[in-house]
Amino acid sequence: MINSLMLIDDENLFHLVFEDACSLLDITISLEALDSSDEADRKFKEWFPDNESDDRPECVFVDLNIIGSSYDGIEMVRKINYEYGNGCVIGIISSSQDEKEIEKAKKVGAQFWIIKSDDIEPRLEEFREDYDGYKNRTAPFKVYK
Amino acid sequence: MIRLHESTETTLLELAKKKVYLEGNIIKLIETDSKEFKKYLVEAKNKDSDTRKRRLQVTKQVQSQNKELTQKQSENDKLMEELHIALEEAKNAEWEADKLREEAERGKEKALGDLDLMQRKSQFELIGTIVKVALFVIIGVGTLTTVMYGMAIAYDKETQIIGSTWSNMFGILLTNAFSIVGTIMGVKYANDSVKNKEE
Repeated sequence: MINSLMLIDDENLFHLVFEDACSLLDITISLEALDSSDEADRKFKEWFPDNESDDRPECVFVDLNIIGSSYDGIEMVRKINYEYGNGCVIGIISSSQDEKEIEKAKKVGAQFWIIKSDDIEPRLEEFREDYDGYKNRTAPFKVYK
Repeated sequence: MIRLHESTETTLLELAKKKVYLEGNIIKLIETDSKEFKKYLVEAKNKDSDTRKRRLQVTKQVQSQNKELTQKQSENDKLMEELHIALEEAKNAEWEADKLREEAERGKEKALGDLDLMQRKSQFELIGTIVKVALFVIIGVGTLTTVMYGMAIAYDKETQIIGSTWSNMFGILLTNAFSIVGTIMGVKYANDSVKNKEE
């Protein structure tokens, strides 16, 4: 089970869906949901790279299009990986299946891409099985369709 | 993982009798050796799962309805935009039609004016020709009769017939000349009246 997970998504209703799905699937013990990448950016600035606080999440799910934020999901992943120390499992969660965007995410260091839909549980279950591989950096980039 | 004090476990078991249970992920972190408390934890977890399942279902429904509404709103917006464009186009078409109708009316008026002008012109030309011919005839006949009458007097010939003929002819010619002038004046007056009325 993941110790702490962070979801960055502007859709508040999806926060509830994600929280309940994660709880039912025993994916994480602690979940923090943020609705803007600016807030996430501020938090990551505090946590990485010098101050390896216990508050930092072990895994981060970032929405591709975070409405009302300064950065989109791909830029957020790039910032976390290249500016804030690359210390967590990170990937994109989006309803988009755009190959170009997926390629961009891969390039900035995203480890997975989960397609967001009404039935998210099977994908999260599959992700849970692969999680150790992501944590050890042995699992290749994967798109959960 | 965490372990609770025995007294806390007892308190929680007491609360469970009143249907009050622990909720959330904290249940997954508690360890115990007590069989009774283990059973409590399983029950609490099941209750929490049931609640979450129900909530997840409702949230998904709301999310789906929300998505549908957003989609419909977007379709409505698109339709409204199309309607707005169609209205604008209809307005433009109406304006163009008005413009064309005005142009056609102006064309018609101009054509009618031209036709009237042409008719008047040909009328005046005809009148002019008639007047010229009539005047030539009057002058010609008058001159001829006068010359004949003059020659008869000069050569001392019989002038009774030619004299009365000259006199009659002159009377008739003068009467006709005045009649022609009168007709011309009448036509001109009538044309001017029509023109004034049109204006």
